[in-house]
Amino acid sequence: MTTVETAPPRPAAGPIPRSRQKMGRYFAYGFLILSIIPILVGYAWLIIATVSARTQGLLPKNAEGGIGGFTLSNWDFVFESAIWNAMLNSLLIAVFMVIGVGLASTSGGYALSRMKFAGRKTFLTGTLVLHAFKAEMLLIAIFFVLRFLGDIPIIGGFIGFNTVGGVALVMVALELPLGIWLMKGFFDNLSWDMERAALIDGASRFRVWWQIMVPQVRPGIAALSLFTFIVGWNAYLVPFTFTIGTKVANMPVFLNQLISDTAPVNWNLVAAVGLFQMIPLIIFFIFTQELLLNIYAGGSKGT
Amino acid sequence: MTQQIEEEADALARAAVGAPGPQRRPLGRRVRSTASAYGFMAPAVALVLVFFVASGLLLLILSFTDLSSANFSRAWNFIGLDNYERLFTDPFFPKIARNTVFYVVTTLIVFNLGLALVLALVTTSIPRRAGFFFRLVWLLPRLTPSVVYILMWQRIGAGDPFGIYNQIVPEFLGASGGNLIFGGSPWAFVILTNGFNGASFGMIIFTSALESIPKDLLTAAKVDGAGTWRIIRDIKIPMIKWPLLFIATYQTLSLLTSFEYILLLTEGGPGLFTTEVWALTSYKRAFATYFGNSQWGYGATWAIVLVTIALLLAVAYVKLFRFNELIEEPRIENL
Amino acid sequence: MRVELDNLTKSWDEVIGADSITLDIADGELVAFLGPSGCGKTTTLLMVAGIYKPTAGTISFDGQVVNEVAPKDRGIGMVFQSYALYPHMTVFGNISYPLRLQKLNKGVIKERVQTVADMMGIGDLLERKIAQLSGGQQQRVALGRALVKEPQLLLFDEPLSNLDARLRLTMRGEIKRLQEDLGITSIYVTHDQVEAMTMADRIAVMSKGVLQAYDVPEALYDRPKTLFVAAFVGNPPMNFFDVEVMRVNGDLRAKSDAIDLVIPHDRGEKAAAVDGKVIMGVRPEDVDVVDDASPAAEGLTLAGEAVVVEPLGREDLVGISINGVDLRVLVDKTRGVRVGDTITLVFNTSRAQFFDPETEASLLWA
Ligand SMILES: Nc1ncnc2c1ncn2[C@@H]1O[C@H](COP(=O)(O)OP(=O)(O)OP(=O)(O)O)[C@@H](O)[C@H]1O
Ligand SMILES: [Mg+2]
Repeated sequence: MTTVETAPPRPAAGPIPRSRQKMGRYFAYGFLILSIIPILVGYAWLIIATVSARTQGLLPKNAEGGIGGFTLSNWDFVFESAIWNAMLNSLLIAVFMVIGVGLASTSGGYALSRMKFAGRKTFLTGTLVLHAFKAEMLLIAIFFVLRFLGDIPIIGGFIGFNTVGGVALVMVALELPLGIWLMKGFFDNLSWDMERAALIDGASRFRVWWQIMVPQVRPGIAALSLFTFIVGWNAYLVPFTFTIGTKVANMPVFLNQLISDTAPVNWNLVAAVGLFQMIPLIIFFIFTQELLLNIYAGGSKGT
Repeated sequence: MTQQIEEEADALARAAVGAPGPQRRPLGRRVRSTASAYGFMAPAVALVLVFFVASGLLLLILSFTDLSSANFSRAWNFIGLDNYERLFTDPFFPKIARNTVFYVVTTLIVFNLGLALVLALVTTSIPRRAGFFFRLVWLLPRLTPSVVYILMWQRIGAGDPFGIYNQIVPEFLGASGGNLIFGGSPWAFVILTNGFNGASFGMIIFTSALESIPKDLLTAAKVDGAGTWRIIRDIKIPMIKWPLLFIATYQTLSLLTSFEYILLLTEGGPGLFTTEVWALTSYKRAFATYFGNSQWGYGATWAIVLVTIALLLAVAYVKLFRFNELIEEPRIENL
Repeated sequence: MRVELDNLTKSWDEVIGADSITLDIADGELVAFLGPSGCGKTTTLLMVAGIYKPTAGTISFDGQVVNEVAPKDRGIGMVFQSYALYPHMTVFGNISYPLRLQKLNKGVIKERVQTVADMMGIGDLLERKIAQLSGGQQQRVALGRALVKEPQLLLFDEPLSNLDARLRLTMRGEIKRLQEDLGITSIYVTHDQVEAMTMADRIAVMSKGVLQAYDVPEALYDRPKTLFVAAFVGNPPMNFFDVEVMRVNGDLRAKSDAIDLVIPHDRGEKAAAVDGKVIMGVRPEDVDVVDDASPAAEGLTLAGEAVVVEPLGREDLVGISINGVDLRVLVDKTRGVRVGDTITLVFNTSRAQFFDPETEASLLWA
């Protein structure tokens, strides 16, 4: 880029002509724009469909087949309680996950990064392996584990099969390897001298963690929370597998029920519900871009 | 707290009496120092034990039973290796295995690795803001709920008059008017949906690796007369060798065991097992329908074989990385 | 507080950080650990602090073994090269942290922090964030934090090496004065020998994990017990020559192809007893440049050629070759030595050192 211009004149090989450089630039933009077309088209349809009575391709159509037919009636569902119930379930899962994954990863990641104990290497290697393969393969067994947890007196009613708590707990466990790995990466980058200083100042290991180290990894916690929230909010497979009926359905499951239980499917209603579900994500997308793009980058040092 | 102080006083007293060799540290202190580490680890360990270790073992046990929704109120019936025999003699087993390899290899090479690398290289060679913008758009699929994401692709591939592809692409490029997913090329859509999501992971990791290559190195290469292509081949790629290996292996495992998009897009269809992959088979056998017969035992068998393959690959991956050498010892030793 | 290290050893799988360090530090003394990078200074200090666990050996404070005592119960304060301040706290937050952990009441904390901060000259910066301080101010905060809990032992790990040269000079004096006023036993790790020489009551010279010498600064300079100490202490460093010391007509002479010098008996007897070559050491300031060889300097004079001249300001550091043997000497600027000049040198051999080439031990002081 600009370094080319400031670089001293090349010997033998000779400079790349300005025109070729320009061509390269056009080529790069052309490629990038082409590559994002499917994504943009998908979103364009989603947005157009939510405010039209029907669509053909990307075009909104009125009853006569001409362009038009704009309506807000697709959004009537916001007055029904079912959607709010689903939203609440989504929110519960997401918040529970943020807290659960956040706590377990911030404490576990710290110990793995900074403390000496028997089994540390095994656990670290294990975490890497677990975080590499999606634990979706274990769902069959987890199904039975949840049924078992459901039989525990008192708390069973909150974390068993077909409960929001159970779904959230499973999701926390499945996201944990990634969370621990990310947080360990953030702790790895902190100064040893600072921690030593705190120990000499008289702090216990728990205090050092809570008062000195955790404040230093706040960006990491923010990134992890954001990421976990999105995963929790979007969770489909686990809630779909471990819940029955509409009472415990979260948004994605609700949406899928909308698609599979009605015939013919009202795609414009489906699109509106889909977009509605994405509102928090869009807010995150607008306000936390930098963080979103750095989620993996910050914590993946050392791998 | 008081107990801690007492123990410390205790240790002080013992220390004062004689010099205990470092090999014979007082048991209480030894236990306590590890205990605090295990305290930090407790929540994570508990979850891993319940949902990974216990679940993994349970999965293995289930694979030796004929447990299904038809008989689950009775005691578990162990049937030895019957499920395994059934799996390997299943007439569609070769097809499913082939599908899985095809799906993993193609998506990995074309998108999760190939396109990810190209995107990282291209977006880091244009002005910062522009590169940032394109990467952000590429991140969108990852943020979109899977149900909505697949819905979009279904509309893109839908038949006339609803399909977007059919509407905006000229006919000679394959816009036949029919449904492209179920009629035309289901595999193309399976791979596209997964690839558009998968590429962004590698893209982010590669980008941050590329951005941390010292600028001096690139300037020096340019001064030496290296062209764009040579810089990529001789400097950029070698400098991000580890992230490349990491993503390659990570995504292999991830693709091998994930099936959510396929479940939502084609459910393995159209027709018999056209786009069915191993992980999906396992899931469908065990959960596909709550009203028909959910064959948990048989589904578990599919899962356990795949998990074994994935674990073997993961072990190879840890070896390849020489991961144990990357683990640093903590620079504080709790007394 | 009295500190004793007895055979203190730290090793990791293959690396040895500190190897059987034995030394004692008297109450109120400031001892410098001096040595090149990687020689085990920090390792030793961290064992004293209780951060690293010794592989073998003991650490005692006032006669009590403290190997198993946690860092917070050792009554120590420590200052790090990186300052290691808590960036999310203010200056007050940093300095008061040890006291807050002791759960002292607010008024007492405020008073003690203010006293220490005033002593360090940062009394008016208490509300600042760490990021808003200069390097020198940060180091004062770090020092204040170490002092505020009134430790029995102060540990410094190269506290000044991140500061610029001028500030280093001032801080050096301040730390020394403070340490003397408060009478706190201190260990001061540095690889800067000027710092060690000017500040320390005694210096422990280390190399590759081994304690090479432990003595008062003048002794290390004038009576180095090993070749390493002789080479490491002193700037510009001592010149070394391979010579054979032999008796010629009742005189002792150090001889090689290039050199032939008369050596006083009290310096050269032991070297003469060695069969074969020994290593002779002469400090740059013990070589004079003269215009003409005087008869009085008979047997102490050699001629050489100037090959390098480095102006140091007041003096020139001149690299000289005597028939292919190199040495460096300090020459008064007014002489105006130039590269290529032939130079007459008079050696003060009554200050020469001799070492056994095998054991590298001194043939004078070992
Ligand atoms: N935690 C550790 N694990 C393994 N080796 C270590 C560890 N800490 C130090 N070492 C090794 O021990 C040796 C001594 O290191 P130490 O930090 O004590 O040197 P130092 O004298 O303080 O050097 P410097 O002047 O560079 O600070 C070095 O070879 C170092 O690599
Ligand atoms: Mg050091």
